[in-house]
Amino acid sequence: MALVAKRARLRDLLYGAIGFIALLSAWQAVSASGIAGITVPPLSAVWKVYETGPLSALLLRSAAATVRSAVVGFGFGALLGIATAMVARLLPVLHPGLDRLSVVLNAVPTIALAPIFIILAGRELTPTLLAAIPVFFIVYVATSSGLSASAPAHSAMMTAFGAHRRQLLFYLDLPASIPSLISGFKVSVSAAMIGAIVGEWFGAPAGLGVVILNTLENFQVALMWATVLIVATISLVGYALLTLAERWAERRFA
Amino acid sequence: MSAIEIDNVSKRFRLNRKQEVVALNGINLSIPSGQFVSLIGPSGCGKSTLLHLVAALETTSGGRISIDGEPPDALREKHQLGIAFQDHALLPWLTIEANIALPFRIAGRAVDDARIRELIDLVGLRGFEEARPRQLSGGMRQRAAIARSLCLDPRLLLLDEPFGALDAVTRRSMNVELQRIWTASKLTTILVTHSVDEAIFLADRVVVLSGRPGRIAEIIDVSFTRPRTSQCTRSEEFHKLVDRLTLLLEG
Repeated sequence: MALVAKRARLRDLLYGAIGFIALLSAWQAVSASGIAGITVPPLSAVWKVYETGPLSALLLRSAAATVRSAVVGFGFGALLGIATAMVARLLPVLHPGLDRLSVVLNAVPTIALAPIFIILAGRELTPTLLAAIPVFFIVYVATSSGLSASAPAHSAMMTAFGAHRRQLLFYLDLPASIPSLISGFKVSVSAAMIGAIVGEWFGAPAGLGVVILNTLENFQVALMWATVLIVATISLVGYALLTLAERWAERRFA
Repeated sequence: MSAIEIDNVSKRFRLNRKQEVVALNGINLSIPSGQFVSLIGPSGCGKSTLLHLVAALETTSGGRISIDGEPPDALREKHQLGIAFQDHALLPWLTIEANIALPFRIAGRAVDDARIRELIDLVGLRGFEEARPRQLSGGMRQRAAIARSLCLDPRLLLLDEPFGALDAVTRRSMNVELQRIWTASKLTTILVTHSVDEAIFLADRVVVLSGRPGRIAEIIDVSFTRPRTSQCTRSEEFHKLVDRLTLLLEG
């Protein structure tokens, strides 16, 4: 049984690797032939960017700035989302209002708010704030639905043993919401990256968003692709890590 | 131990704006302290509802329930109620030991490790303290749920078909174990069950409910000497009682 599963897993990995290499080869072949024009550089040209000392140093520095904004924004938005959902759970009277507030906040295009953030918080903090807002909404919704997902039999059992609302929240609803919460985190990763990068377009001093904008203005096609690939990789790595966490949570908490 | 007075209790559920369903009507039952009572009846007769009313998980639509002269939620607030359901309702993220100790944490008391060990031995789960519920068999989970219900030395034990999902052999051995536990503690106990055998084997009195609306059809005293053994279940009187109850349920 275990052997069969292991072989199936190896086969999947092998197919995945073949597909990945085929995709990269096709890219290299198509771009090198010139039929895609000069806006799609060959993979080898993109790779050369990473090998060029000053450029790779620039990308590393920029990635650090973007990741910092995205991570801080993610953490801030997630904490606020979890806290708000807990308040809504403990004080049901506030629940409809908080639901509506978060929906309204989500309905407003955050890019339109960017100028206000720049005035309020400055250009350096704007990427963090733009990352935090969508994360707040996603995590609030995920936590809210997770908190009400606990089994009725469990809450009946806890109530019969004399548990109060606060104990129900901490002993039952919160642990039961962890799988849903981690799914929310997973969806939030790309939202946080988008927020950070778009936020950087409004004149942040450093970051991958700044590099993307500069390459666009100066027509540095290879550098642009190199930057975008880094953005995609960061998002994918975050997504992959949280997928692992999600699997663990589903085994443990559901 | 607690004595329970159920006085002309009724329970109605609202289905929608116009329709109501009468789940229980005119229930009168007095359970003296230390007695084991089985509630039996066709499905949908409201026997679980009656148990939930005693646990104060639901409120009566009419009549009154008192436990030692107090409303039922008073016992619960004092953490003196033990309960086990058909769904074991163990928390999946806690170990067996932590699940059994949960009532201590709810009551805000320090976990009495000696007491937890004693309960784990009592229900035969030694060696599985660190396991999680999903790693155990159905019977073992039910035993953990029973241990949890006894954790705080309750004054009243409510069992809502705790063995309903078990196979016949496991169920019988759980019955024997429950009898042993009950004999040691002489805890006032109400057991809701579908099984006529189980009801008679365990109870001092069997209360038969009739369906829609749920009313008490008959109360039967069971006077077999304890401890009851499998020999008792093979006796002629036992079979007669089973037949009589089965007829009542079919009636």
